[in-house]
Amino acid sequence: MNDQTNVKLRLSNSELWGGVIGLALGGFVIWSGLKLKLGTINDPGSGYVLFYTGILMCVFAGSIIVSAITEGGPTLASRWENVRWSKPLLLIACLVAFSVALEPLGFLLSSIPLMLLLLRLIDPVRWTLAIPVAVLVPMGMWWVLKRLLLIQLPSGLFGIG
Amino acid sequence: MSRYRLKTIAFAAMHAVMGVLLPTAASAQDYPTKPITLIVPWPAGGSTDISMRAIADSASKVLGQPIVIDNKAGGGGTVGPATMAAAAKPDGYTISQIPITVFRLPLMQEVSWDPAKDFTYIVHLTGYTFGVTTNSESQFKSWKDVVEFAKANPGKVTYATPGAGTSLHIGMEQIAGMAGIKLTQVPFKGGAETNAAVLGQHTMLQADSTGWRPLVDAGKLRLLMVWTGTRSPNYPDVPTLKELGYPMVYDSPFGIAGPKGLDPKIVAKLHDAFKKALDDPAVIATLAKFDMVPNYKNTEDYKKFVVEVTESERKVIDSLGLAKK
Amino acid sequence: MDTLVNVAHGFGVALLPINLLYCFIGVFIGTLVGVLPGIGPISAMSLLLPVTLSGTPESGIIMMAGIYYGSMYGGSTTSILVNIPGEAASVVTCIDGHQMAKQGRAGPALGISAFGSFIAGTFALIALMLVAPKLASVAIAFGPAEYFSLMVLGLVVLTFLTQGSMPKALLMACIGVVLGLIGLDSITAQPRLTFGRMELIDGIGLVPVVMGLFGVAEVLLNTEQAIKRDIINTKITHLLPSKEDLKASAGPVGRGTILGFFLGILPGGGAVVASFASYALEKRLSKTPERFGHGAIEGVAGPESANNAAAGGAFIPLMTLGIPPNVVMALLLGAFVIHGLQPGPLLITQNPGLFWGIVASMYIGNVMLLVLNLPMIGMWVQLLKLPYNILFPLIILFTILGVYCSSNNVFDVYVMIAFGIIGYFMRKLGYEPAPLVLAFVLGPMMENNLRKSLILSQGDLWTFVQRPISAVCLAFAMVLLIAPLLPALRKKRELVALDEGA
Repeated sequence: MNDQTNVKLRLSNSELWGGVIGLALGGFVIWSGLKLKLGTINDPGSGYVLFYTGILMCVFAGSIIVSAITEGGPTLASRWENVRWSKPLLLIACLVAFSVALEPLGFLLSSIPLMLLLLRLIDPVRWTLAIPVAVLVPMGMWWVLKRLLLIQLPSGLFGIG
Repeated sequence: MSRYRLKTIAFAAMHAVMGVLLPTAASAQDYPTKPITLIVPWPAGGSTDISMRAIADSASKVLGQPIVIDNKAGGGGTVGPATMAAAAKPDGYTISQIPITVFRLPLMQEVSWDPAKDFTYIVHLTGYTFGVTTNSESQFKSWKDVVEFAKANPGKVTYATPGAGTSLHIGMEQIAGMAGIKLTQVPFKGGAETNAAVLGQHTMLQADSTGWRPLVDAGKLRLLMVWTGTRSPNYPDVPTLKELGYPMVYDSPFGIAGPKGLDPKIVAKLHDAFKKALDDPAVIATLAKFDMVPNYKNTEDYKKFVVEVTESERKVIDSLGLAKK
Repeated sequence: MDTLVNVAHGFGVALLPINLLYCFIGVFIGTLVGVLPGIGPISAMSLLLPVTLSGTPESGIIMMAGIYYGSMYGGSTTSILVNIPGEAASVVTCIDGHQMAKQGRAGPALGISAFGSFIAGTFALIALMLVAPKLASVAIAFGPAEYFSLMVLGLVVLTFLTQGSMPKALLMACIGVVLGLIGLDSITAQPRLTFGRMELIDGIGLVPVVMGLFGVAEVLLNTEQAIKRDIINTKITHLLPSKEDLKASAGPVGRGTILGFFLGILPGGGAVVASFASYALEKRLSKTPERFGHGAIEGVAGPESANNAAAGGAFIPLMTLGIPPNVVMALLLGAFVIHGLQPGPLLITQNPGLFWGIVASMYIGNVMLLVLNLPMIGMWVQLLKLPYNILFPLIILFTILGVYCSSNNVFDVYVMIAFGIIGYFMRKLGYEPAPLVLAFVLGPMMENNLRKSLILSQGDLWTFVQRPISAVCLAFAMVLLIAPLLPALRKKRELVALDEGA
């Protein structure tokens, strides 16, 4: 391991960041626990378990940070080396766009474009295959759920579906 | 597995989507056009759950759409109605059983709902038969034994209830107050759990509605008292609260309600369907299994009843010193 | 002898053509809903409950029971094929099952889970016939203190689920507990960690969390790889388990069955704990624990048998005490009551025909399931031959539909997508999702029972040690925690000794 991929007390140490996030979450959980009241040991309150879980989280996060500093860890960049990091990012963007569109547009109008995007953007499938798959599969599922299982999918502002 | 079991806010959000476009008048006319979700805020398998399933099954035949039961237990039967009040659209596709804790808990602590404003009351259905049981192997042969033991060992007598603030909890505390004893409540989530608790002798007593009946019939549990006005025809030897010297009757009547702002036309349709269900012999037979009888009140009477019951609860809670500070 | 007469009588009832038909419809629907992640037996049974009212009580209950154990069979399919567990009990199947699929061994993985399920199901039924009434006491021997200790044991098991660093796994477990506690407090009805969001009052659903962390995150990871278009790297070699596979699986199936059956009796998380515990046990016993997580067939055979045996064990508290140990059993209880029957201590004596008929029909249903499922393995494996660039959008679509159908709630779709993204970054940083999921399921139960047992013991922590069952659970937990450290200590000591010798 050279300096590029294994660093100790540097901001690019990915282990350090994991620990710090854990510590912050732990702190938040302790605070929430205190706010919800601990109660007594005879009658523990709503925050009792949260408080102690938060303390444990801080302990574990602390030990992750300590080992990150003493033993070092891979850099953030090295975790994404030699992979097509842009593809998961694209996929995440598609999913976020889909979740924004789902309620206003309804299931059919949002999932057909989502399928088309996924089929074409990541590892492009030829159009003659992508279009039938993107249209027929969501419609088929929609029909099965609505007609056979009586499950109504979101229909959106236009009431389609 | 509790999270796994909870079917989340069924249909609620879907209708949030639907409601935007469809004009309410038209939907009230055609109502219902799809399955209705009835929240039962108790675990599946308890007396409330099974009786509500029978009632819902009968009502669904009148409405022409299935009624799907969604068990959303916890908080003494308030988690379900609270979730509905917070998240469901008033379109008649989400309704909930309303246990008395919905009126009582707001008097005891901060809660997220206001029973006077957040619900559209539809119809009043029935009430429970409550009873206190103990394991048949227990040292307690009668309620008198419990009182004597508790006097000698304050706080040592534990009883399982289906939740803090339920009628069982409040009732037991009232009884303890009158008898001058101290009991310790252990809140479970419902009948199936309290049965197991007293069967396994994890708690000394169980205070719950008639879910204990098959176990009492089989001689596994001993029924110490019932909280009805008169003795139960099924257990003529078991004394009532009054006979034991506690001048009270507890039956925790309940009905159903939707979220606030429900269209009166929908309320009327639901009311009619559930009223018919209460006349269905199959429903009456199922209720009888749990020593329950129909206690029908129409929409208007139910609303008045809510106001009355809130007032009487306030007095009880104040007298027990449980009111919120 | 009585039992034999009863069993014969039961088969007489179960073999009536109408009951056979209902049984088949039940297991068929069960297999379907089991395969579709999200649409579990609960929704199917609630919808079909009214349908059963028309027939006799026997046929109605036979069909409902068929749906239940049929879905247990189907549950592992998506776990193995595409890393999407349909329910908590099949989370652990993903770990090795999906690795096997990636190595082209989806057939043996599916085959062993079908065989394991069949053996476990059969054993559970025989045990149900012979010892059901005697085992009823097991279900009620567990009070709050015992449950708390069992949950602790369950959480300790998760340390065996991980390949990576221990602090990371434990941190994930804590986060799982906290996520599980979101929503209204089950004792005081106070909202916790809901951030004023109404959707969170009810807590986060398990299905969206699991499908996000496993299904969506897996797809995100896979799309990084440009070269591997197929989900499978190597050629599919066998469709069914080979002789060596069967030999390797015999022990795990046997142990998983027994473990699952006993834990299944317990109301609450029996099946989930059983599947995780079986995995941990096999890893502990294995001579080559390093293969676990990389496609060890034992890691599929054990847990799959355990969760099917647990499904059989779950009938015991229902039939003998009228206490339903899970929602599905509660629905069955509802079906009994609507038909005018009251499950409880008197059911078996008052209605022997019904009880034995149901048990016999479950046996027949198990055979039907095996016959139904084995030919389907070939079909499922064909599915993996689809190029990944067509398969993954379908996987995404199915997870979205599955999550939506499990709750009819758009919010859950958002939750799933969020957890998919979180899960992707977690895995990139070497944090594994399985401990989080296990803690998510067990955490709330642990909290609730801890609080109840402290109320019961009036704040005395010794209660957990004084009660025998609780003490045994805690002792096991201690052994499990310390045992992995011992070889390391011994090795160190040996090294020291060598140094001194030299």
